[in-house]
Amino acid sequence: MRKILTLTKIFLKSSLSNMNTKMGMPSNVKGKHLSKILYTILFLYLAGIIIILSYGMINGLKGIHQETAFIGLILFSILGITTVQSIFSSINILYFTKDSEYLLPLPLKPYQIILARTNVLIILEYIITILVGLIPLTLYGILTNMGILYYITMIISLVLLPILPILLISIIVMIIMSFARLTKNKNKFQLIATALVLIIVIALSLSLNNIDENMTDEQMAQMLVQANSMVKLIKGYFPTLAYLTTALTSNTISTIILELLKTTGLTILGLIIYTLIAQKLYLKGLIGNLFSGETKKTNIKINQKQYKNSKLYKSYISKEFKTLIRNPIFLIQCLLPAILMPLLIIALLVVQFKDMSDVTALLENVDANSFVVSSVILGIIQFFSMFIYVSITAISRDGKSAVFIKYIPVSLYKQYIYKSIPNIIMNIITTIITLIAVKLIINLPIITLILLFIISTIINLVQSILMIIIDLKRPKLEWDSEYAVVKQNLNLVFPVILSMINIMIIAILGFLLNTINVYIGLVIVGIIFGIITYIINRYLYKNQYNLANKII
Amino acid sequence: MIEIKNVSKSYVKGKKSVDNLTLEINDGEIFGFLGPNGAGKTTTIRMITGVLDVDEGEILIDGKSIKKDPLEAKKNFGFVPDNPDMFLKLKGIEYLNFMADIYDIPKNKIKEKIEKLTKKFEIYNELNNQIQSYSHGMRQKIVICGALLSEPKNWILDEPMTGLDPKSSFDLKEMMREHSKSGKTVFFSTHVLEVAEKLCDRVGIINKGKLVFVGTFEEMKQKFKEQASLEELFLEITEQE
Repeated sequence: MRKILTLTKIFLKSSLSNMNTKMGMPSNVKGKHLSKILYTILFLYLAGIIIILSYGMINGLKGIHQETAFIGLILFSILGITTVQSIFSSINILYFTKDSEYLLPLPLKPYQIILARTNVLIILEYIITILVGLIPLTLYGILTNMGILYYITMIISLVLLPILPILLISIIVMIIMSFARLTKNKNKFQLIATALVLIIVIALSLSLNNIDENMTDEQMAQMLVQANSMVKLIKGYFPTLAYLTTALTSNTISTIILELLKTTGLTILGLIIYTLIAQKLYLKGLIGNLFSGETKKTNIKINQKQYKNSKLYKSYISKEFKTLIRNPIFLIQCLLPAILMPLLIIALLVVQFKDMSDVTALLENVDANSFVVSSVILGIIQFFSMFIYVSITAISRDGKSAVFIKYIPVSLYKQYIYKSIPNIIMNIITTIITLIAVKLIINLPIITLILLFIISTIINLVQSILMIIIDLKRPKLEWDSEYAVVKQNLNLVFPVILSMINIMIIAILGFLLNTINVYIGLVIVGIIFGIITYIINRYLYKNQYNLANKII
Repeated sequence: MIEIKNVSKSYVKGKKSVDNLTLEINDGEIFGFLGPNGAGKTTTIRMITGVLDVDEGEILIDGKSIKKDPLEAKKNFGFVPDNPDMFLKLKGIEYLNFMADIYDIPKNKIKEKIEKLTKKFEIYNELNNQIQSYSHGMRQKIVICGALLSEPKNWILDEPMTGLDPKSSFDLKEMMREHSKSGKTVFFSTHVLEVAEKLCDRVGIINKGKLVFVGTFEEMKQKFKEQASLEELFLEITEQE
């Protein structure tokens, strides 16, 4: 038991330290403070959204005296999120952490390693449970005047609920890793897992899209009750969900204790079965993964055409794209959102406004070729650009070999620009998709569209260059798995913050200059962002060497 | 030629990782840089190659300052870092083409140079595979090929023999000898004292950031115990401090 706890502590420490951006340098107090501030902002932002949503839902349900349905929905959400999240975290924590190689020769029993790794999985999942579970259920307790018993039951429920789905997903992962050839190719596994999650998310978004915006509170509450009946169906498969829902909605102590005991018993049974199965499967898959590289061999003959000589910028940018495209995690997290996000949201809008005449009617009273409409379009493009993580990870993606940029005879400034070009290109793709959709929905003159394209590209330059600067200042170069660069990297908050700021600037200008001629307005926005681009670019040029100080 | 003049570097205030280092590596010379772990070898190499800034002093590569004229200075050396895990998603051939573009190698020379180097290191048949499928030694070889592709006058190699098989290690040593014979410079760090003894014209020993010995092995023997082995001499020099 002591060994399991020690291992858990060590694994947890290395997992959490992965989340901070450390460079193997003496820890910097200023950087730590900034991280804390960013984490707090992020937490408060998410907590705020959850509180607002929960408040609306609880009140809606109270109106039709169905508030207990809220508990089922929240527990179901925890179950769903934990399950999806576990697909990625279990594969990464159980199989793709490099320290496994050092653990195998140590005198440890397989179950000790497995349970310690599983503990880390569960503990990390609790962070999400706090957001998705603790906050809304506490709010529910306050709004429905619950007593202390409810809060105790709530905490026990939140501790117990995520365990079984994590164990179940981990077992599935272990089975796949042991028997499928995927052990030899983590990239394929991650690609398939991400594709699955993407399909689930799209399906969910499309089904949620049926919500009519003009719904009354009562209708909304009825719909939530309907959703709760779906939860009841799931309860058949996840008995602990049913037990805990009963425990949380019951007023009698004996029922609560009985339901909690049933859940605890089932969880312990789950843990025992898990340990037994994992003992048989885990090490087999782990060893397979650790000691078999990607063995795919291609044609050994080098074609004459493969000896290429290109301009340096072409060669550099093509290298950046190749590394992005050939790495499924970077491809899915950094590149694809540029195309998928606008397509998905536009598709959802089209489904929502099944009858496009609604939009036409809406726009009849508005002058489409006005500065206000153009500002909204610029804002939408900015919204999409917050999902492009190419520049913000440009240095971190190189990991320990990022130092390469410092010893080759190419100016650092040029290399920063080359590294930001894939972000600029992806942003341009997003802009083009959005503008095509805009053209299909509202009839804007070509000249306005061209101006919108040019100005979006200028704003896009600000984002692409600024994000490189941030990544240079806070690079995450020490990582075991590419997953850490995109999932355990606080820097990814910055594209969101910057896009928000850009949207705010555009909104303020749109508000102040609402009567101005659209072309003059757009030129003013262009000039403002042009000046910002110039200043940031000068900063990058002048500080090119200092900015690379953390790359060693 | 590599000139290191009164160079110092501190990571932590008040504690110098490299302390007032002065060293000249002449043309036509193979220079081995030795020292225990944490002595300052890698920090020195990082400063020579421009990866780290010097706090004090100056470093010149063929007369070009790495601080004031970094691009010109960097054109004068080829560097092999201690970690060969780079650009793992690129194919070997793509990596070498990229390096050729960085160092402006003329189009008509690329094929010849790549073939010559990769055949010598026996990785020609692997060029169509991604570097991530290579073993540690093969990765080391492809990085060495990339660094030597432009035929730089000065070679700077950080632990270059690590992971190489005996044949490749032998070939690299031969290449180092040929390079120095043609009047060019090789500067490399190593832990393997026998390699340094057999290969180097001169060695420098660094300990706790300070250069404690520079010279030939004969000079080392004369200065310290004449009958002692190289290992004994090394231990004596580094433990004296």
